[in-house]
Amino acid sequence: MSAVTVSRTAGRARAGTAGGNASVGKAAQERRQRRAAFWFLLPDSLGLLVFVAVPMVLAVVLGFFRIDGFGSFQFIGVGNYVRMAGDPQFWSSVRITLLYLVGVVPAIFVVGLGLALLVQQKIPFVGAIRSMLFVPYVISLVVVAMVWEFMLGDRTGVLSRVAASLGFENVSFLGEPSLALGTVVVVTVWFQMGYYMVIFLAGLQDIPGEYYEAARIDGAGAWQRFRAITLPLLRPTSFFVIITATVSVITGGLDLVFVLTGGGPAGSTTLLIFYIYEQAFLFGELGYAAAIGSVLVLVMLAWSALMFAVTRGGRFDND
Amino acid sequence: MNGRHLNRRQVSRRDVLRLGVAGAGTLAAAWATAGCTRAVGAPADAMQFWQMYAPAPQQDPNIVAQSQWFLDGIRRWAAAGERPVDMVYIPAYTDPTNTRLATAFASGDGPDIFLISPGDFLRYYNGGVLTDLTPYMSQEAIDDFYPDALATRTVDGRIYGLPMEQEPLAIFYDIPAFEEAGLAEGDLPTTWEEMLELGRRLTGGPRTGLVLDTTPSYYQNFTFYPWVWQGGGDVVDPRAQRPTFDSDAAVQALAMYGDAVGSGAAARTLPAGGDLVGAFTNGYAAMWQTGVWQVEAMRQNAPDHPYGVFRLPAPPGGEPVTALGGWAWVVNSRGRDPESAARFAVEVMGSTSKESVDAAARWNGVAKGNMPARRSVTEAIGNSGAFENPVMQRFRDEILPTGRGEPRYPPVIYKAVSNAIQNVMLAGADALVEAEAAQSAIESYMETYEGGPLV
Repeated sequence: MSAVTVSRTAGRARAGTAGGNASVGKAAQERRQRRAAFWFLLPDSLGLLVFVAVPMVLAVVLGFFRIDGFGSFQFIGVGNYVRMAGDPQFWSSVRITLLYLVGVVPAIFVVGLGLALLVQQKIPFVGAIRSMLFVPYVISLVVVAMVWEFMLGDRTGVLSRVAASLGFENVSFLGEPSLALGTVVVVTVWFQMGYYMVIFLAGLQDIPGEYYEAARIDGAGAWQRFRAITLPLLRPTSFFVIITATVSVITGGLDLVFVLTGGGPAGSTTLLIFYIYEQAFLFGELGYAAAIGSVLVLVMLAWSALMFAVTRGGRFDND
Repeated sequence: MNGRHLNRRQVSRRDVLRLGVAGAGTLAAAWATAGCTRAVGAPADAMQFWQMYAPAPQQDPNIVAQSQWFLDGIRRWAAAGERPVDMVYIPAYTDPTNTRLATAFASGDGPDIFLISPGDFLRYYNGGVLTDLTPYMSQEAIDDFYPDALATRTVDGRIYGLPMEQEPLAIFYDIPAFEEAGLAEGDLPTTWEEMLELGRRLTGGPRTGLVLDTTPSYYQNFTFYPWVWQGGGDVVDPRAQRPTFDSDAAVQALAMYGDAVGSGAAARTLPAGGDLVGAFTNGYAAMWQTGVWQVEAMRQNAPDHPYGVFRLPAPPGGEPVTALGGWAWVVNSRGRDPESAARFAVEVMGSTSKESVDAAARWNGVAKGNMPARRSVTEAIGNSGAFENPVMQRFRDEILPTGRGEPRYPPVIYKAVSNAIQNVMLAGADALVEAEAAQSAIESYMETYEGGPLV
């Protein structure tokens, strides 16, 4: 600690001695800072360029080719996009993905925020409770899917037995097309709720306690405090949660669906990401998969831009 | 703190940067060299053989025996002064989520030799990466293979894959479940109607009477095809190369799947996570359509649990037919030495030499325990090893002769059939409507299809 202090003092002393050279010294310092920033950012930027930006550009380019997966590239212009427009299975997977999105994102928002409000309270073992709620998020998604598969198994799974004891005989959570997507939504929310709980918790802890204190003195009830203080002041956090949850829901879920349902029953859980994977790696249609992926990226960019525009990037009105 | 620490040279920002750059350089160098590292002990010029057996990833005696069989094969080959082969174990090789083989070929870096299932054959053949093995085989060796084992690995009379086994489907049944219901061997079903009736009767509590595969996949289609064939139908007529999925036989097979689930005879999902051993030993399933590989699974994991097998029942007027799965050795025509790789594959899997036949007999009769693809191997095994088991003898003598090789349909045809199965079986759709929709999709695909014949 003392070494740092000595250094700073010496630096200031030298600056004082220089007198009229202060502005020159400041400019040099700024140059040094810019250089340092450049070198610090270089590794990450190179990584992003090589592993994200270049593959993204290549993927867009691949979307204009028919590729057999064995080195044959045939330029077909917008052929893959025309095929996409007339592909009923593509549109079916888009519809299912939208349903999945509409099911998961609001549920994650409500459950994540609800849990954060709960574990924000001063209750015994709150640290352990927070950890337990977060644990599903750090478990492999394949393991999560396998555990749920056993719990949801027809006739023998614990949840099926509970349903039977309540009078719902022979319920097939994963084998009935009308239930399978809802089941995948529930498992997704269970898996991700801990992560969003932590994000909301951080947001809640940023809200000054004085606001609540003043509201209580003014006679505001719990619901009024939540509506007038918590929700508005969570705006940046809410924006972050909605954007990241949307992206993770659209691009994730592949492992879960593969293990739980394989895209079935009767295609009822074939999410778009699953369809892309199927086209690319099971059917060898790399060009078509790249074209769908490109559209997906464009849609997500458009959605993020819209969200930024509507919410001003989650900033407060007076920012 | 002492004086020495106080006087030590400060760590400047530049030092931190230098340290960071040096660290990044070290990591990059380690990463680059790791990417070039070969398997321990593998010679630099060795050919790579990608598969799911060797070197054994665990100490289970059976897994070790299968691994050892492969390692013995490459050791003999190298000892003869030939270009060595490096066995590369690919975890989850058979899992559809495993993209390693597909991405290796897409990046022009496929293995020299690899295992392939019938469902994938045409994709690789049409991609031009399979080596014609016929020039390396004698006519005697070709004739030694069972025709159905070679049929789906042959194009225009040229052989592109050497099957190491044949894996017929049958119905396994749990004897305690039958006994509980007062049933004996004489009650085993021989018709679809009897099978569904028995399925309904044996369903109750945690137990599912009949298990037909339910997950959309190449495997589900594989298990479905024999029900179509039994009525004389097909997905594509192998002679005319025309789709025939709107035939009565295909429609009745789809309808049977729909009835099985709709009437409660069969489950909507697989019991015990798809594990037959767990399902039988825990009383979760009474009958299960699956393949000969389950005999070895039962022997290893539940050797004392009584079970039996019977042929797939047939529709009225139909013939008992089953499907034959199994993996084949293929050689990458763009590998580093396709000629050596082809000679190696033929020497181990497609020769009439005593070493080749003995090796195959050890594979099918001891290490793996499944049906040989060659007559000489069947004779060499006789009733020894795995075939001391009466269930294996029944597979060999009663079920295998009714077998037909798993078709090698391209993805579009697979998907059309898969959609029809799923929609009828699990969504209650009309069998005729779904068969016609699949037929239409296959017809449009075949109008522009160019590639190996669909058989």
